[in-house]
Amino acid sequence: MELSRENVLGVVGALVAVLLQVIIAPAITLFAAVPNFIAVYCVVRAVACPAQSGVLLPFVLGLLFDLIGGGPVGAMAFVLVLVTFFSSRLYEALNNDTLFMPAAILLVSIMLVETLYGLMAVATGAGVPFGEAFLYRALPCMLYDCVIALLFYPIAVRVLGERPLGQPGTALLR
Amino acid sequence: MALNFQNNGPTRTGWAPIALALVLSLACVGVYSAEGDGGPLHRIQAVVEGAIVPLQLAGSPLGAAADEAQQTAGDSDASEETLSALRDANEQMTQTFVQGEEYRLQAQRLMALLNLRDAYEIEGPTGRVIGRSTDAWNQDVTLDVGSNQGVESGLTVVGPTGVVGQVISVSGNSCRVRLLTDPQSGAAAMIQSSRAEGIVRGSLDGLLYLENISADVNVQVGDVVLTSGLGGSYTRGLLIGTVARVEGSAGNASRRIVVAPNGSVSLMEEAMVVFSAASDAVDRSAPSVPAAEDGGQEADDSGDSGDSGEGASEDDGSEGASSDQASSDASDERSDNEGGDE
Repeated sequence: MELSRENVLGVVGALVAVLLQVIIAPAITLFAAVPNFIAVYCVVRAVACPAQSGVLLPFVLGLLFDLIGGGPVGAMAFVLVLVTFFSSRLYEALNNDTLFMPAAILLVSIMLVETLYGLMAVATGAGVPFGEAFLYRALPCMLYDCVIALLFYPIAVRVLGERPLGQPGTALLR
Repeated sequence: MALNFQNNGPTRTGWAPIALALVLSLACVGVYSAEGDGGPLHRIQAVVEGAIVPLQLAGSPLGAAADEAQQTAGDSDASEETLSALRDANEQMTQTFVQGEEYRLQAQRLMALLNLRDAYEIEGPTGRVIGRSTDAWNQDVTLDVGSNQGVESGLTVVGPTGVVGQVISVSGNSCRVRLLTDPQSGAAAMIQSSRAEGIVRGSLDGLLYLENISADVNVQVGDVVLTSGLGGSYTRGLLIGTVARVEGSAGNASRRIVVAPNGSVSLMEEAMVVFSAASDAVDRSAPSVPAAEDGGQEADDSGDSGDSGEGASEDDGSEGASSDQASSDASDERSDNEGGDE
């Protein structure tokens, strides 16, 4: 991995996400919904700079999430690798330089992350039916994560992104 | 809406790394699910949990601040006059008494723990809650006692008002406790009055359900629920809570029995790991909770504790005299020694 500005920023952002997950997330729990800063960071990065979105960071961050969280090790890594890959590809294919498209992809990706993780948690012995898991955990968490992702996305575009936001046809100023 | 499909070129990541990462992840999940609690992935997880304890400690004040903010939000509907009067009074009182109040509350909590320890002759270290679950899927807390204090995986953990969970992983100076309210937890339990045995399970909605109770047993709201010790996963005879609701009547095999925990775990700041308890703990009455008498913070949240205390007192000395069951796995030796003494 080359030591470019994007890579360094990516790693710094990942460290911040892990710290937020360990220190802040347990303190801002809302009705049993704990925000997933790690998932939000990975998805936002995949959409904000799709060309830089690799496999390594989502994989490592997913593993870290599983290790610090007590869930099945590898489940979040699997989900993040899968979802960030498809969200970056989807964004590259559908990007029309409006804010709608990245926002829509962000929300869908976050929902996918929470739903898939819920499925994996149930499959690996969470001891509850999926419907209940979706209703009481995945749904509140995805709503919480979506809000955080929408707040975080403009910052990520500014810091991590390759080009500034603009209306279609607007000249890009560098 | 017109979509402008752009030819931005493919991302740098090819299919091979993706496939490799996915296969690796799935392999980890498979190994984790298949291996036991002592497996390599579980051990790595325990090490990482131990390593992040200092970070969680750093976040503890944030948790307290968040709780305070929630309380403030709850008080926001009071009138302005009331608020200003309270503010004035509070300013005067706070500066003088805040430190003393903190000590008083701490002493109160520890006294409740000591009461429980005395009532059940519990042996084991007391730890402070230094971390809570970092994700939504696991209901657990981290205590600042670990293998250096003799804590082992599988031991029962009690709060000031009764059983709160079980140790699931241990590092040098910390341990992770899975709470009873976690859907993955299950404690063999019995109703103190009828001696009917079942299993108390947590759920995602935060309630405890008493399952596998025979259909012919008459269960009443307010009945005290204790750990039965069957299977050896939880120490026998410790208070879990009281029956709060019975959905369905006796004779109905599909009835659901909701158990109210005997205290709020979210407000718990200290807990005790149980090495061993009195062999006749199941027949002893539940100790009263000082916080409830004093109108402390715990009392506000644990309206059930008073009920349970009464329920327990009513049933005090009821029929019982069940056989000595094994307590927790890890405390077998200690229990055996006690049994020998008796």
